[in-house]
Amino acid sequence: MFDLLPHILNGLTLGLLFALIALGFMLIVGLMEQINLAHGSLFALGAYFAMQLMGPRPPFPADLAQSWLALPLGWRYAATLILAPAAVGLVGIAIEFCMRRTYGKDPLYGLLLTFGAAMVIEEMIRLTWGTRDYVLQVPQAVNGGFIFGDLIWSTYRFYAAGIAAAVIGLVWLLIEKTSFGATVKAGAHDSEIVRALGINLTRLRLLVFVFGTMLAAIAGIIVAPIWGIRPHMGVDAVIPAFLVIVLGGVGSFWGAVVAGLLVGLAVGLSGAYASEWSLLSMYVLLVAVVTFRARGLWGKKSVLEA
Amino acid sequence: MKQREISRRSVLQGSLMASALAGTASYFGPWKENRVWAQGAAKPIKLGLTCDASGQYGNSGQDDLRGIQMAIDEANAKGGVLGRKITWITADTETTPATGSRLAERFITREDCTILIGAVHSGVANAITQVAAKNGVIYLNTNSSAPSEAGENCSRIKFVWDGNGTNFSKASVANAVNSIGKNWMLLTNDYVWGHTTSAATKAQVEGAGGKIVDNLLVPQNTRDFTAYLLKIQQAKPDVVATAVGGDDIKALREQVAQLKLDGKPAWINNQQDWPDVWGSPDSLFGVFGTTWYHKLALPGVADFVKKWQATNKEGSIPVPGNVSYNGYMATRELLRAIERAGSTNNVKIIKELENLKVSATDRMQHFDAYMDPVTHQMQQTIYLARRNPKPADKTDLYEIISWTEPKAVADTDAQAKCKLVPYEQVPTVDS
Amino acid sequence: MIPAPQSDSARLITPTMLVLGLVLATVPLWIARVGLYPYLGIEILIWSLYALAFNLVLGTAGLPSFGHGAYFGIGAYAFGLCQFNVVANLWACLAAAFAVAGLAGALVALFISHRRGIYYAFMTIAFGQIFWTVAIKSHKVTGGEDGLLKIARLPADFGFASFDLAGNVAFYYFVLIVFGIAVIALWRLVHSPYGRVIAAIKQSETRAAHLGYNVWLYKASIFVLSAAVSGFAGGLFAMAQLAAFPDVMSLHQSGYVVMMTLVGGGLVSFWGPVIGVFLFLIARDVIGAMTNAWMLYFGLLFIAVVLFRPEGVAGAIMAAWQNRSLNSMRQQGGTALRLLFGGGRWR
Repeated sequence: MFDLLPHILNGLTLGLLFALIALGFMLIVGLMEQINLAHGSLFALGAYFAMQLMGPRPPFPADLAQSWLALPLGWRYAATLILAPAAVGLVGIAIEFCMRRTYGKDPLYGLLLTFGAAMVIEEMIRLTWGTRDYVLQVPQAVNGGFIFGDLIWSTYRFYAAGIAAAVIGLVWLLIEKTSFGATVKAGAHDSEIVRALGINLTRLRLLVFVFGTMLAAIAGIIVAPIWGIRPHMGVDAVIPAFLVIVLGGVGSFWGAVVAGLLVGLAVGLSGAYASEWSLLSMYVLLVAVVTFRARGLWGKKSVLEA
Repeated sequence: MKQREISRRSVLQGSLMASALAGTASYFGPWKENRVWAQGAAKPIKLGLTCDASGQYGNSGQDDLRGIQMAIDEANAKGGVLGRKITWITADTETTPATGSRLAERFITREDCTILIGAVHSGVANAITQVAAKNGVIYLNTNSSAPSEAGENCSRIKFVWDGNGTNFSKASVANAVNSIGKNWMLLTNDYVWGHTTSAATKAQVEGAGGKIVDNLLVPQNTRDFTAYLLKIQQAKPDVVATAVGGDDIKALREQVAQLKLDGKPAWINNQQDWPDVWGSPDSLFGVFGTTWYHKLALPGVADFVKKWQATNKEGSIPVPGNVSYNGYMATRELLRAIERAGSTNNVKIIKELENLKVSATDRMQHFDAYMDPVTHQMQQTIYLARRNPKPADKTDLYEIISWTEPKAVADTDAQAKCKLVPYEQVPTVDS
Repeated sequence: MIPAPQSDSARLITPTMLVLGLVLATVPLWIARVGLYPYLGIEILIWSLYALAFNLVLGTAGLPSFGHGAYFGIGAYAFGLCQFNVVANLWACLAAAFAVAGLAGALVALFISHRRGIYYAFMTIAFGQIFWTVAIKSHKVTGGEDGLLKIARLPADFGFASFDLAGNVAFYYFVLIVFGIAVIALWRLVHSPYGRVIAAIKQSETRAAHLGYNVWLYKASIFVLSAAVSGFAGGLFAMAQLAAFPDVMSLHQSGYVVMMTLVGGGLVSFWGPVIGVFLFLIARDVIGAMTNAWMLYFGLLFIAVVLFRPEGVAGAIMAAWQNRSLNSMRQQGGTALRLLFGGGRWR
């Protein structure tokens, strides 16, 4: 039993990371009924931008770069957590402008458009930064390991899981407890009402999409020190994100969070006790759930199942 | 495998009709099956370079290409081979076997390449080998280190230039069992290369009196190794031997480095390719194998590095590593073999390569190397290295801790597994 | 819309098929002159067949299947394993490729046919990943990432005569004949009463159910059929490559067939997938020889198609044609258009 506990703990932290990776994807699916397959590429882009900002050659004019590099690592990291997602948000704006043409059509077109965007972004990454790997520096305070129950644990992992929990909580508050959230939710379910209220639906959609892409970027920055940074990392992220959403059910916030935790537990526990099946476990979990539950765990009715 | 039984007579009839069809085709078009290459006086010799530029081994494939090109440039600077210039063409094999097949077909039938060079991924290498063998085209597998390449998947037209998992295990294991400890744990990527490499390690460990306490299989594309690291801590082995490759080992390295688990237990990583190491130098850990290092204290190495750097100023990798080295050596020895054979006839070149012996000086390694005529694998010095505690500059990442002569690490089981077809069955190719 | 003469959908062989067949039959005579090579022709035909089979599910039935590479790959392995372990007979092994992929499809259909939309899509991805992983893991059977090697192009034995298919030209003609037969069969299938029910289910599952059709059975059967024909194409691909590899089963490669089908216009035209495969494979070969970043350009093209011509190339051609000469075409009996599309609108 004591052998099992560390693996459960590990599975839960991993699960929070999966939920964080899926968060931006979920918002866009839940609020816009659009599948953003570029999610993974934006995730990767967030990591690359952060790496560039944290690295020895920040993308600033010479004098600004000087003073930027003079800042303590912790400050730069905190600033990067805001700057890199903001930059990715700009890319998100560009994608949303293209995506407008597909609103009202079969959601398949939005999915395909973002699939194309994913290809383009991944190739751009390859052309800009090459095929090599990069490492994202993190402040000393969250690096290294600590000993707990005779085992060495990664400090960063718990920091990352903590950030994930915090971001998930903030997003939930934003959607459920603010007037912005109320409008967004209304807009998703009945665009007529939103129009009648005199709210600019175009701008609302743009906001939601950009918010989703910025969450993808944050996830990329948080996960990068664990997975490493390479062009392929986007594909590694978008599949679990998609899986978590389908498992949790489209339109269900807590469904996605619980699904993320379940996937984390499945991968973590199978990693320890049936290691060769650890990556398949998430697919088996999905098949087991969706075979019996039409809309995942707590999915709502949606145009995505038409 | 069952023998195919095809009635001889029906084949004759069929092939008559097929050749009639093909005959009409050649009458109308310039293309025809098994083209006989015209013997031009100073016609260039054309090489097809099948190097990955994208996919899992895109990075390594391009480093391979740099070494190959360097050898070609050197030969051309000396006036070519047999008085003929060497030209080349390359395209991205995408770390995908189907793309490898198609490009091999393209290079051979469309571009008239008579020799193909370049591989990192064993599946891609095998796909290319199939096409090359069908056409009798020589293929140099520069960098795929799967033991099966020189074992059951060997071929008369294929030559393997990298050390393989078995070689590296033989170089590292016995010594570590005696000096570090007897309880070993294996971390094995769940595919052929991982399994064969771990099997070789296991045999070495048990042969030296050690014991495998557990073998954790790691699925391809694993990004999070925490469950494995916890498991390893719980089992407390003396040594962890990994056979993890591609992007997976990079993720593993980052996570081990973060936890500072790289001291105890001791880690033995089968082989590390320089392009993967250079990407994240801070996370280098454990003892690992290589066939070459750019700071080996041997004559010629420094010159080679300078020449390589002169042509690769723009690249993301500042110095040549084992991948580029293997590409260079394979190509250089091939071109020399053509010169010695005095002919571009494929079988004559194959025979030259099968009898290949390269002195240590010429190889820039510690021992003489030779081609095993039975398996077509280059038998060479195997180095063990670890992270350099006192680097002379920022590329000086390795501390070379031992070098083993080829005979001592030879993959002795491979000879029984490899069956080469007789020379007569190789379609004739000449350029 | 295009006045597709009723007669075409009733025909066994349409004028388009004839013209396409004749043009394809001359390919080995000139392909080298235009800078390509016969193997590319083989690959294009096989992928066309695969894409047509895939479009049974995506275009005809409107079911988003994103893990179809699994069945293509399973067919390739089945062909090789039949050749090595059962009997080295071309017909038997092609039948095995068809049957085994169909069986795998049937297993999956059991789990997914009561699902729709995004849930259906992701279930197909999940099963695709499971099959792909199992193929890599079972290396005693499949050779893992090393591949199942030394698969022979078995001779086509008709009893009275046997054709050696080892050469690329002979094999090209064999694939062409098989492709022709398969196209006729698929054409008849989508225009059969069965095909019309499938199309009705695509319009509205609820309505079809109200009309008394067993929607589950239709959805399952079209998936099985599609998987089986994909597997058959996979068997041919194993012969072309002389080997079978797990990579065609990956999600990445499954995505390619979706792209090809949509860029070509599989949602609006029977021939859309074929157009897409021709475009994709030739562009890849030509652009790929010039730059390593060809995926960037193809990605941009793909985005443009989705934005401006979501019906794909076939849709664009049809629309252009329609604006220009709807009337003149009617007067001429629409032969030129029919030659292009053979009454391509089967919906």
